[in-house]
Amino acid sequence: MTKRSRTAALAIVGAASFALAGCREEPVEAQAFPDLESCRSAVGPTSLFSEQDCTDAFAEAETLHAETAPRYDSLAVCEEQYGEGNCGSEAQATGGGSGSIFMPLLAGYLIGNMLGGQRGLAAQPMYRNANGRFTTPAGGTTYANNTGRANLNPSTFNKAPVTAGKPPLTRATAASRGGFGGSKTGSGLRSFGG
Amino acid sequence: MQKLDLPERPDWRDKAADQGFTFADMHGEPYWDEASAYCFSLAEIEERIEDPATELHGLCREAVARVIGSEELLDRLEIPEAHRDYIAQSWQDGEPELYGRFDLVYDGDGPAKMLEYNADTPTSLYESAAFQWQWFEDQQALGVLREGDDQFNGIHEAIVERLGAMFAPETQLHFTALSGAPEDYATVEALGWAAREARLGAHYTDLEKIGVSEDGQFLDDEDRVIGTLFKLYPWEDLLRDDYAAHLATAQCRMIEPPWKAILSNKGILPVLWEMFEDHPNLLPAFFESDLTDPSPETAARLERASEAMARGHVLKPIFSREGASISIVEDGAVTETASNDGYAKHPRIAQAYHPLPVFAGFRPVIGAWIAGEHCAGIGIREDRGRITQDLSRFKPHFIRD
Repeated sequence: MTKRSRTAALAIVGAASFALAGCREEPVEAQAFPDLESCRSAVGPTSLFSEQDCTDAFAEAETLHAETAPRYDSLAVCEEQYGEGNCGSEAQATGGGSGSIFMPLLAGYLIGNMLGGQRGLAAQPMYRNANGRFTTPAGGTTYANNTGRANLNPSTFNKAPVTAGKPPLTRATAASRGGFGGSKTGSGLRSFGG
Repeated sequence: MQKLDLPERPDWRDKAADQGFTFADMHGEPYWDEASAYCFSLAEIEERIEDPATELHGLCREAVARVIGSEELLDRLEIPEAHRDYIAQSWQDGEPELYGRFDLVYDGDGPAKMLEYNADTPTSLYESAAFQWQWFEDQQALGVLREGDDQFNGIHEAIVERLGAMFAPETQLHFTALSGAPEDYATVEALGWAAREARLGAHYTDLEKIGVSEDGQFLDDEDRVIGTLFKLYPWEDLLRDDYAAHLATAQCRMIEPPWKAILSNKGILPVLWEMFEDHPNLLPAFFESDLTDPSPETAARLERASEAMARGHVLKPIFSREGASISIVEDGAVTETASNDGYAKHPRIAQAYHPLPVFAGFRPVIGAWIAGEHCAGIGIREDRGRITQDLSRFKPHFIRD
C-alpha cells in the first residue's frame, strides 16, 4: 500500500487560462444556424457538417436549452436581458415546466467540430439579446449573427450550469467592486499564504 | 529521520519551467532544493507525524467549539463582534473544512510538536502535492531511489476526494487570490486542478476584481454570481475589508468556512494548552498578557510550565504569516527577531521555545497537510535561521525502511 497519490502531475498554467488548464486549447471550427432547415440546406461538398450532424446538433441544443437556459422569475426581467418578445415561460419552452419561470426563446444554434477532442460534434443553443446580438446560455460572449462560420474557443461549447429545477435568478450587475484585498491586519507582505 | 545528499535530476529546472513552477528560484536563491532530501521510516511517518497530525486537527475542532462559546475568548482572538454570529452559524451548520497545514518540529526523536496551524490559507500545496511527487517518481525511475521506497504524499488525491464529498458534481467553484503573488496562485491552481478532477467547475478571479451586485451577491470579474468561493486570503483580513458587511448575506459558501477564522489565529495555541495541557504534541502556550496578570487558574498552569517558559519562549502576534513579527526570548532576553514586523500591532501569545533540529546547517519544519480531517502527506521547508521565514527552502522527502 503506497502512501502517495496514484498521479499528481499538475502544472501551473496561469490565471488567464484557469478554466482551461490541463490541455492546450485549439480553436474549434464552428457554424451558426437560425434553425434546423437552414443547416440542412447548407449541406454541400464544402460544408463542415452532414445532414445527420445538423439533426444531432439541433437535438443537443434543444436539450441544453431546456437544461441550461437562464431562468428568470418574471417576463419583464427576462426581456430586459433578451429583448421584447424574445422570452417565454418555461411551460411553453419545455412542456411541463412552470408557467411563472421565464427563459429566452431559442433563436438558433451553434454547431462545432471538436477536432481531436473526445466529443466530436458539439452544440449550443443561441439566444437573441436585448442589443440584437446573439449569445449562448453561459453568456460572456456575444455574436453579431446567428448565421455564418467562425473559429471559436472550445470553452464556448462547455455546458453552462444547469438551471432547470433551480430557483430562477437574475443575472446581476455590479453595484460596486474592489471591496476585498485591503489586508488590514498586516503590511508589506508579498504573499498572503503561510 | 535523516538528511541524505542525492544527485539532482539533470532536467529539473526545465521541468519546473515547463510546469509553470516559476518560483523554483526566488530572489537569486533556490527555493526548490533537491540536492538533498529527508528520509523517514514508515513507522516514523505513521506514528510520529500522520496520526498525531490527524489527532491535533481533532483537538483543534474541540478548541473551535470552546472559543465560539466564549465571548471572552472571541475578544482575545480579536474576532470582530459584527461577524461572530456569522462564524458561529458556519460552525453550527457543520460547514466542512477543505484543507490545512500543521507546522511541526520533529527531530527524529520524541514526539512532534505543533508550532502552529495554517488552517486558513496554507501555501506550498503545489510543490508538496505535485512537484515533490514528480521528483519521487523521476528519482525512482532513474534508480536514485529504490523500488521499495515511498513518499508520504496522498495530498492531491485526498483533496480531490474531499472536494467531491463537499460538492455535487458540476457545482461551479470560484477561486480567488490577490494578483501578483505566484506562490499563492500556484496553490490556488493546484486546488483548481483538484476541483476539476472532482468533476466541479473551477473559475479564477483576482480578489481585487470581486464586485457586489445590487442584491448583495459577490460577482466575479465577468459579473457572474459567485456561489462558492475559495479564497487564498486570510479570514482576519476578509472580516475587516469593506465587503465584510456582505459576507453574511451574500449567499456565498466560503472555503475555508468562516469558523477557520478561529483556527488560523495563534490565540488558539493557549486555548489548546488550557484544554489539553501536557498533550505530547503541544507546547506550553499562554496569552502574553497572562504572563504578567494571570487569573488564579492560569497562574497555576503558568507555574507548571514555568521552567520551560523561562528557558525560552517565542512571542507571536495572533495574526502573523511567514514568520513575520516573531521574537525568541531566552533567559529573559530577546535573542532573535524576524526581519519583517508587519504584524507588530496585534496582541501576542507566548509559546515555549522548542528549537528546530539542525541538519547540515539547516533547520527543517515539517508541514503536515490535512485534507478534510485527516493528515494526507507532508512537505518540508528548511531555513538557516531559527525563525522559518518566506525565503526558506522546500526539501523533498521519501520513506525507506
